[in-house]
Amino acid sequence: MSGNGRQRTILVAGGGISGISAAIEASEAGCQVVLVEKEPYLGGRVVQMHQYFPKLCPPTCGLEINFRRLRTSPRIRCLTLAEVETIGGGPGHYQVTIRRRPRMVNRKCTACGACVEACPVERPDAFNYGMGTTRAIYLPHPMAFPLQYVIDTDACPGAECGKCVAACPYQAIDLEMQSETIQLEVQAVIWATGWEPYDASKIEGLGFGTYPNVITNVMMERLASSNGPTAGKIQRPSDGQPIQSVAFVQCAGSRDENYLKHCSGVCCMASLKQARYVREQYPDAEISIFYIDIRTPGRLEDFYSEIQKDGKVQLIKGKVAKISEDGGDLVVEAEDTLSGERVTRKVNLVVLATGIVPQGAEVRFETGGGLARDEHGFLTEEQGLSGMLPVGCAKRPSEVAGCVRDATGAALKALHICAGSGCE
Amino acid sequence: MPQPYTVKPDSQFLRRVLDQGGADLKQCFQCATCSAVCELSRDGTPFPRKEMIWAQWGLKDRLLADPDVWLCYQCDDCSTHCPRGARPGDVLAAVRQEVIQEYAVPRFLGRWLSQPRYLPLALLVPVVLLGLAMLLRSPIEGALGISGRTSEKIIYAYSNLLPHWLLISFFGLFTVATVVAMVAGVRRFWGAMRAADPDGQALRPLWPSITAALKDIFLHSHFSRCTTEQGRSLAHLLVFYGFAALSLVAFWVVTAAINPLTPRFAYPFNFWSPWRMLANLGGLAVLAGCGLMIRDRVLRAARGGRSSYADWLLLGTVLAVVLTGLASEAAHYARWDPHRHVIYFIHLVCVFTLLMYLPYSKLAHLVYRATAMVYAIRTGRVRPAEDRGDGEPPAQSG
Repeated sequence: MSGNGRQRTILVAGGGISGISAAIEASEAGCQVVLVEKEPYLGGRVVQMHQYFPKLCPPTCGLEINFRRLRTSPRIRCLTLAEVETIGGGPGHYQVTIRRRPRMVNRKCTACGACVEACPVERPDAFNYGMGTTRAIYLPHPMAFPLQYVIDTDACPGAECGKCVAACPYQAIDLEMQSETIQLEVQAVIWATGWEPYDASKIEGLGFGTYPNVITNVMMERLASSNGPTAGKIQRPSDGQPIQSVAFVQCAGSRDENYLKHCSGVCCMASLKQARYVREQYPDAEISIFYIDIRTPGRLEDFYSEIQKDGKVQLIKGKVAKISEDGGDLVVEAEDTLSGERVTRKVNLVVLATGIVPQGAEVRFETGGGLARDEHGFLTEEQGLSGMLPVGCAKRPSEVAGCVRDATGAALKALHICAGSGCE
Repeated sequence: MPQPYTVKPDSQFLRRVLDQGGADLKQCFQCATCSAVCELSRDGTPFPRKEMIWAQWGLKDRLLADPDVWLCYQCDDCSTHCPRGARPGDVLAAVRQEVIQEYAVPRFLGRWLSQPRYLPLALLVPVVLLGLAMLLRSPIEGALGISGRTSEKIIYAYSNLLPHWLLISFFGLFTVATVVAMVAGVRRFWGAMRAADPDGQALRPLWPSITAALKDIFLHSHFSRCTTEQGRSLAHLLVFYGFAALSLVAFWVVTAAINPLTPRFAYPFNFWSPWRMLANLGGLAVLAGCGLMIRDRVLRAARGGRSSYADWLLLGTVLAVVLTGLASEAAHYARWDPHRHVIYFIHLVCVFTLLMYLPYSKLAHLVYRATAMVYAIRTGRVRPAEDRGDGEPPAQSG
């Protein structure tokens, strides 16, 4: 690295908590890092969370520190709206092609928001999982890094409209901006491509997509979040009414060979945590959690034990297989396997604890093929000193703390590769 | 406070369930999706989740005394939705097969019919018995001083092969034997259900429960509520009513000699005789039903469904009965001598096989399932069809 005079670069694909952590660790150890993120902002899934378990702190405080480290590091180059396209070479000498989509907004943007007032086009708000809309020019979220507006090119009619260009007092909008291709030589690649929530509308019988008051756990995070579509108020999507009862459906599509075969490991804690969100806003709400097994390993068991003390939280051992609508309410059916009786619960809101689907880059290797994956689609670590280093939820389902630890390990492995290539 | 229960696993029982179509049983992780998706499962005693763990543990006693095993029609709702591919529907079918064998009197006949290696032997027995009856005909006729040709009431075309009196007494004898074996099995089954369910009150008197169960059986009310394999109840209806028609005609013919209602009974029937037409329609219905069943089983297999040896054995026997019956009729009208006598003999063997193995084969389900339904209705586990509103929650009986 610094000692042998050759510049060492690590590519980190994915700017979520794993990628950010790996990038910072590697750069602070003296390595050059290129951080590539396909969204227009860094932070990945965690910025969409309301709170982390088990401490129930908001993700903002940790991210703020990380963003400052990113900003102040002279060795990290962040590329948003960018994806790795092809890879050639081998460990210690990869040639990477990166394609970067146009943001249509340059660095002069001060995030004043004048453009939004002028923009006539609405698009579904992907950041809020489709709950609500934004304009075609938008700030992904209030804490976005980089703090720059972006244009959704699928929604924007382009130069023929141009109202935002006229409205921007800083000449920050450039509707002629083109996508670009970037070539890099790197010594190792850390794959922190993260995850996406399982598509709950694929699950038969649970009514997601049909019944508006059946939502997923990630949507619940947005509902509870103060920068979410309801400004943090947990309410029924259908009519905005407060809730008196809620059912959490664990393993919605998970551990199920018909849908998602693996256990995502974090959904139990996520639902227990969300039960706390509900309890904070509704001291008398009836909360039912239907589960196959509650999986709260290690010290997380304490969090579970705390919830069990809540007299109005009922944990029912039995998977929900049927949900029907009754008025705006929902009727949830399961067998309580501990009593051996069938349970039917009428609730205002159902939260499906959907699982983690690994999100891998569709990268092409010049030698043919792509990234190695296991039967569930998670990236697998190759044996020996490989320069392809999967990390975080792209590798296995994990909570935030586990991803951060994993990222540190991956950064160290990447440094090994760099050092190794320097000793040739 | 529940009584302490000593678990008595029966590994042999478990082995047989695994071998008879329940091979995926051990995949079950007790999530209870099956009990929740089942259209027939009841609130108080849902199935098949509890049956799955009983079977996994080899709790034979519990399954032998469980009416719920018989309330399942293997429609595959549970097997389709099972997250582990444990195929609860197929496991329950295997358990039912095992229950039939456990209650069989004598038990070895049940085991014979469950294993393909005994198939030649199982087929040989009816042939030998029927052949023996034919061999003994002359000595008996001599001893009793009667002749198969003396009946003036019946002009029986095959009487030189098997005289009417011999047919009646032979089939009569084995019908009685079958009934005795079935009654013994049902008594043990009923007793086991009562013993396992000490709190099970008789909410309904016996006879109305029986009528309600019969009504359900005649209409296939529960069977037709299965969603995944909807075609199954239609196929079963065809076979069921086809068989009812055939049995009625057979009963009419066999009892003609002693039936006061038939003073001018002429057999064989004219082709356009209502009896003959009923029998032909019945035969065709069974044939069509069997065709549908075979198609369903083949299609199910493509989706991972299992059919056991017992399933195919019964289906094969029923098909053989109908096909040989129709062939025999055709040969008769064609006056295809002497082959029609051979075909007729084969047909008799098939019918006899079906009859004598009734308490030991899958066909015994007609008795055990009916018994379980009567018990379930009587104890309020299942509400009979007429009580059911349109999707209304169950009324609390006060």
